[in-house]
Amino acid sequence: MSEWLVEGIEADLDAFHLGPVDLALRSGQAVAVLGSSGAGKTTFLRTLAGFLPLQRGRLLRDGVDISDWLPEERSLGYVPQGLGLFPHRTVFGNVRYPMELRGRLDANARTDDLLARFRLTALQHRHPARLSGGEQQRVALARALAAEPELIVWDEPWQALDVEARRELGVVLSDLREEEGIPVVVVTHDPGLAFSLADSFIVLDQGRVRLSGGPLDLLDRPSNAFVARFVGYENVYDRAVLEGGRDHPFTAWLLAAAGSEGVAVGTPVAVPTIGVPSTWEGVVRSARPNPDGVRVEVAVDDLMVAVRLPRPWPARLPAVGERLRFNVDGDAVHPLGTGPRNAR
Amino acid sequence: MSADVSAARARRGRRWRTGPFWVALQVALSGSLLLLFLLPIFALFTYAPLSRIVAAAGNVQVREAIGVTLYASGIAVLASALLAIPLGYLLARKRFFGRAVVESIVGLPVVVPHLMVGLGLFLLVLPGSPLYSFTNAIGFPVSDTIWGVVLVMAVVSAPYTVLASQLSFEAVDGRVLESARSLGAGPGTTFLTVTLPVALRGIVAGLLLTWARAVSEIGGILILAYAIYPGGPYNGPVTSTISVYIYNLFQQGDLADAAAVSSLFLLIAFALFLAVRLAERTGWVPWRRGDLTP
Repeated sequence: MSEWLVEGIEADLDAFHLGPVDLALRSGQAVAVLGSSGAGKTTFLRTLAGFLPLQRGRLLRDGVDISDWLPEERSLGYVPQGLGLFPHRTVFGNVRYPMELRGRLDANARTDDLLARFRLTALQHRHPARLSGGEQQRVALARALAAEPELIVWDEPWQALDVEARRELGVVLSDLREEEGIPVVVVTHDPGLAFSLADSFIVLDQGRVRLSGGPLDLLDRPSNAFVARFVGYENVYDRAVLEGGRDHPFTAWLLAAAGSEGVAVGTPVAVPTIGVPSTWEGVVRSARPNPDGVRVEVAVDDLMVAVRLPRPWPARLPAVGERLRFNVDGDAVHPLGTGPRNAR
Repeated sequence: MSADVSAARARRGRRWRTGPFWVALQVALSGSLLLLFLLPIFALFTYAPLSRIVAAAGNVQVREAIGVTLYASGIAVLASALLAIPLGYLLARKRFFGRAVVESIVGLPVVVPHLMVGLGLFLLVLPGSPLYSFTNAIGFPVSDTIWGVVLVMAVVSAPYTVLASQLSFEAVDGRVLESARSLGAGPGTTFLTVTLPVALRGIVAGLLLTWARAVSEIGGILILAYAIYPGGPYNGPVTSTISVYIYNLFQQGDLADAAAVSSLFLLIAFALFLAVRLAERTGWVPWRRGDLTP
């Protein structure tokens, strides 16, 4: 399988400027492209797929510069948002399409194989409009594979899927890169699947790369509020909010650790009121059990803090208005934007 | 308290929308329109005794007029398909200077009285004009020939195909087309295998409208091809389109025959439309595949 190298690519779409973006993809690797709406994620994928001309930079496949190649020449399985299934063709017709284009004599047999592999045989005579979201995703993937791509580029694969369909598709995509070694680039808003699938991440913000690296880079240096929330930080505070409440010692302590944009704090653990020295205290606003214990929302002055009460679940959930103590691990406090590297 | 009030309001709103008054209003308005469509037809059928309609069906002149009308309108629809679909595609997919002007020109034949269209065409092909010599030289004389009928029909009805195909092409999701490209289809193949089939349903609807408009044309034909002399694909005796034929009967004061021939043609037109709709229902036609509804 091929290796892909994205070297400082830049592209323009109307007034929007993308780049420069760099990326290296080896066989079987998966990259997740993250960013809020309008960050340039789709523009990046469409540029890779050849639908937007490069203003600068190069796109190399196995060392060959394919920057000027047409979309149909790139051997790249691009699955756009909404999947782009052909509404006038059946499931069979959709999956067979790339092989028809190549005049393959075994098109029918190979289509049958792909349909069986993606559990679509029973649905082969249906049109896309009469499939569920999960079924449509499987058709899109089967069709992309029918073109024997050297890279799968997928915009929001998990959009509008229920939990089970997401899990299933995650497994299929993982199998794909492990068994066939096809590298995958996905744009997603789903942290769970991004972390389960991707080896590395690119975070885009207003067309620029804000962060690129592995999962630990994201967790340890969330860089901005979007990434912090994306990777699962529940306590993310804007600098302006902290500056507004600096009278309180907890707020002042956070402000000291904050970067130019604010601070992200890993979920603190609640501690017993007696016997264990603790740092902070707040008033319980809500308490909801989850598989890890109980998630308690605590108000400290004006700041809401999500606190975890570890398992086993208590006989009685903390009541609203009760006081709760918690400890914040200094390693779990991360500045956002530029500023102090860490609160340690 | 306020939640109760808004809930009660919402309940009242639902009752209002689905209540008997609302249903009655809908029935009354829709019924009035349907009545407007049906009453003139009813008048035609009641004025003409059945025996006259049967006699009209057996009348050679009537059959020739109907035949030539269907023939000419068929050619006009084919010409529209050939010329109007590409223009619809151009307007849907390309941004170019003067696009609004082109769109307005396309709308012109629809908005101006068709007598004017006929007059304009008539002046263009006056004996001695370059176009007169040219059309005669290539074997397409238009004055008082079936080609003249086709010309008028095409000019006044092709805008419907342009508009319908423009809307249909615009409605094709660009991401579907990008998928096709990425799967290996060049621009031409993408157009033939994806764009055109997906847009086909709307285009066919436009062609049906075009055909209906062509068949019902009279204004331009009165001027350019009032009588149709043999020539080109038509080799029968001198005849006219069915609309002109009925107009003549009316002018002669023969109301019963005018109503009988009208009724006969109505039945034929209705049968043709019904056949197309039934074919669409059964899914035999390619442009209805992949519908949301079964």
